[in-house]
Amino acid sequence: MHTLRPFAAALLLCGAIVVALTARQQTPVEQPPAAGATSAGPIPAEARSPRNANYEIDARLDEDAKTIHGKETIHWRNITDEATTELQFHLYWNAWRDAESTWIRERRIAGLYQPPQPDAWSSIDVTSLRVRDASGEMRDLSKEMRFLAPDDGNARDRTVMSVPLGRRVGPNEGVEIELEWTAKIPWPFARTGWIGDYYFIAQWFPKLGVLESGGWNTHQFHAATEFFSDFGVYDVRLTMPRRFVVGASGRQTARTDNADGTTTHRYQEADIHDFAWTASPEFLDLTQRFEHPTLPAVDVRLLLLPEHRGQADRYFSIVSATLKRYGEWFGAYPYGHITIIDPAFQSESDGMEYPTLVTGRARWLAPKATQLPESTTAHEVGHQWWYAMVATNEFEHAWMDEGFNTYATARVLAEAKDPNRVESRYFGGFVPWSFRDIPVTRIDNDRLPAFRLNSEADAQWTPTYQYWPGTSSIISYNKTALWMHTLEQRHGWPVMQRIMSTYFERWKFKHPKPSDFFDIVREVTNQGHYWFFDEVYRSSNTFDYGVQEFRSERIDDKTFRTAVVVRRYGEATFPVDVVTTFENGEQVKETWNGQERRAVYVYERPARAATVTVDPDRVLLLDIAYTNNSRTLTPSNGKASLKWSLKWMVWLQDLMLTYGFFV
Amino acid sequence: MDSSSSPRSTVHGLQSSVLAWREGWNRILAAPALVGGVFALTFLLALPLAVMMRQALASHLGASLAAETAASGVNYDWWQEFTAQATGLGTTFAPSVIGFATVLDNVSGVLDARARVAPLAAALALYLVGWAFLSGGILDRYARQRPIHIHGFFAASGVYGFRFLRLAVVAGLIYWWLFAYLHPWLFNTQFDNLTRGMNAERTAFVVRAIFYVLFGAILLVVNLVVDYTKVRIVVEDRRSALGAISAAIRFIRNHPRQVLALYALNSVTFLTVIAVWAMIAPGAGGAGLSMWAGFVLAQLYVVARLLMKLQFIASQITLFQANLAHAAYVSAPVPAWPDSPAAEAIGQSPQST
Repeated sequence: MHTLRPFAAALLLCGAIVVALTARQQTPVEQPPAAGATSAGPIPAEARSPRNANYEIDARLDEDAKTIHGKETIHWRNITDEATTELQFHLYWNAWRDAESTWIRERRIAGLYQPPQPDAWSSIDVTSLRVRDASGEMRDLSKEMRFLAPDDGNARDRTVMSVPLGRRVGPNEGVEIELEWTAKIPWPFARTGWIGDYYFIAQWFPKLGVLESGGWNTHQFHAATEFFSDFGVYDVRLTMPRRFVVGASGRQTARTDNADGTTTHRYQEADIHDFAWTASPEFLDLTQRFEHPTLPAVDVRLLLLPEHRGQADRYFSIVSATLKRYGEWFGAYPYGHITIIDPAFQSESDGMEYPTLVTGRARWLAPKATQLPESTTAHEVGHQWWYAMVATNEFEHAWMDEGFNTYATARVLAEAKDPNRVESRYFGGFVPWSFRDIPVTRIDNDRLPAFRLNSEADAQWTPTYQYWPGTSSIISYNKTALWMHTLEQRHGWPVMQRIMSTYFERWKFKHPKPSDFFDIVREVTNQGHYWFFDEVYRSSNTFDYGVQEFRSERIDDKTFRTAVVVRRYGEATFPVDVVTTFENGEQVKETWNGQERRAVYVYERPARAATVTVDPDRVLLLDIAYTNNSRTLTPSNGKASLKWSLKWMVWLQDLMLTYGFFV
Repeated sequence: MDSSSSPRSTVHGLQSSVLAWREGWNRILAAPALVGGVFALTFLLALPLAVMMRQALASHLGASLAAETAASGVNYDWWQEFTAQATGLGTTFAPSVIGFATVLDNVSGVLDARARVAPLAAALALYLVGWAFLSGGILDRYARQRPIHIHGFFAASGVYGFRFLRLAVVAGLIYWWLFAYLHPWLFNTQFDNLTRGMNAERTAFVVRAIFYVLFGAILLVVNLVVDYTKVRIVVEDRRSALGAISAAIRFIRNHPRQVLALYALNSVTFLTVIAVWAMIAPGAGGAGLSMWAGFVLAQLYVVARLLMKLQFIASQITLFQANLAHAAYVSAPVPAWPDSPAAEAIGQSPQST
């Protein structure tokens, strides 16, 4: 909890920034924003967030050299209750400086590494770093900079930089830092880089870590993790050749055409914790306005590539559906604008979130019934709630935004995406085929299939950067979505919605930790749930309940004796219902606590039993094998297997005929 | 020496291709037992694997209620659970088994040089060997244009089987080189190099499509030479596979318009069959009558595909015989059965009586 003093200081700082920004806006050389850009809006005076890491960045793209030269001024304030004597920065692009960075080493160990071409590498070098000292003078600390490897001690990793301040910065005290830097833009790596004349530039500037009680939280860039930073006000000027259409976090507040054929684009936004931008001369600049009776309006800007021109409506439609549902379910989206980027082929920038800017994912051939671009776009827009506003530490608890968001996205898609069919892609992945018989279900979008294979890969409480890179996303995305859906199944949507909206309202523009969410679950449900989080969060145990035995025998003229043995095959426990149905329609429901290895139920009834099902309502979505959850005394496996083996046989005959070409 | 001014050639130019195409169908219709035979081969080789697949599916479903939805439609949840646990043949049970996706999956699998699981590869190898063996009898029957009965068919299959085996070694080496070296060079090295800087998917797709056409054209050329090699082996009773390859190349080189026109006609017919199947291929369906109706329809499609394969053979024989099958090309001195179809033709010709 924050005291009144930092809050007042935040207001003062915010006021100062507003004055400074307003003064800059009066510069006569600046022009109104380009067509399609949102109208300029002042930085809201009322801070939604602590605004303790404020950036003014002036960057220039050198298209020929594929470099960015930048200057930035950071106004940082210590919002912890402890003093610090150093600053720590992320220099993410050094992850692709050479093959010995931690990011590359981890990818290599996980078998996910393909040596890049020589021109693919990137780097970021801070050429000057000055800090205003107590006397008000700027002191050059460039020679004091050194690299840290707090996570793995890798001396070759240069993604974290430390600078000793030479003085103590106490609670609520601020410091002004000026940096100059040069960055070599990578050939696309991890969702940033250039390809042709398309640029997607993210994690591109020297960025402060997060000072917490206990010290700096500045992790190295890992193969399986994303990012973490403090909220602030961003005022960014981007200079590049005039032909580019530019999109960025924040609102475009000015555009200045320079004499050298370049244009400077100015973007501003407050209460965000990152800033990304994109540029391409190919972008079609489209806008639509999202309006809702009870939610703030949002200007939706879509930068669409010409080859996806026909998918503009699909993009806009799913953005509106997501803004509507997330807004109604969790809380309002307050920024008033959002930019959706349709990423270029092979740019690797697809499916990524940044504050007020997200990238979708589209294919050139995309039948209406297929999931793209809707599923990715819904997911990334949803990250505005779970990442951009509720800003969890993605180095340590990636599941808190990725998993929460996967769960909520699946809910949106189940309501808003119709038709939604399974597709396969052929001929190098270019040609899609949509299966009209196979709808994509909400459980599919909870990503159960991949979870089945890797349910034990890691315990979720393990810091994300220590997850096995090859299965990290399955524990962060899939497992969380499945246990949250399980909570919803157990308590009902109204309770789950209250949990999520309470969590959002309480933790927006802050950095919650897992216990903060667990506390809200306990508070809203009025139940401890310790056992549940012990299973899903603190262990890597697998859930698998099933029917072991099911018999029903006549014991006299009027009575059948039915024996049901249900079994816990997995190590994890969860209470489940066991429903036995008799031939006369009677149903008996047992609630088994699921603790023991098995439970035995014996019934004597006038009718023979027909079926038994463990967890018939499919509450426990983490159950990795649901087929064994039911048993019938009149099985249909003969019919089903005959039908599908005949289908398969035709496929095999066709395969033989295809290869028959060669004889 | 081969010459396009053959004395037996009664029709010329593209017209002869059309006639050959038509005559090919006549020869196929005159020998329906062959269609039945190759269908039996295709059916009976697939059947044991289908039985194995059925056992695997039935075993996984057990007495679960999941079987009911799997029988009445698609239970994709169970399906994914099955494939997650499957090994070997079971891993091939994918949505591509439904409807027209089958064709896309299999053609794409060949053109993308997809590896096949061992049981499937073994079945495919057996199928190709079976076809290679039966091809001698099939070609012999179509060349003679008269019933040769079952003993004649298998005698011819046996006689030409070993010659085709020698041809298969040569053809196999060529195909192996194409898939082991040319394919990765085109679709990995060159495709990656050419598309590395491309940021538009459609442009990359055009490049890939061009590579498919290029690679497909090379396959077609090889296939064409192999086809006419078999024709020359059978029709002219050639023993040397290499000599027959050389003769086939000469024939194609000397009659390019007719050969290509016939190939194009057959290809258009083939694509028509595929297009019709794309329109009528049944979906998942239920487990009752619709299942059997769908299966019968699919078998009719299989028959249509087999008819197309036979049509390529029969029409190419017709074209060859219309142009070059005359006494000057037959080495066998005494026309005694089972001698070459050309020798038999000589025996029946007016000049020899």
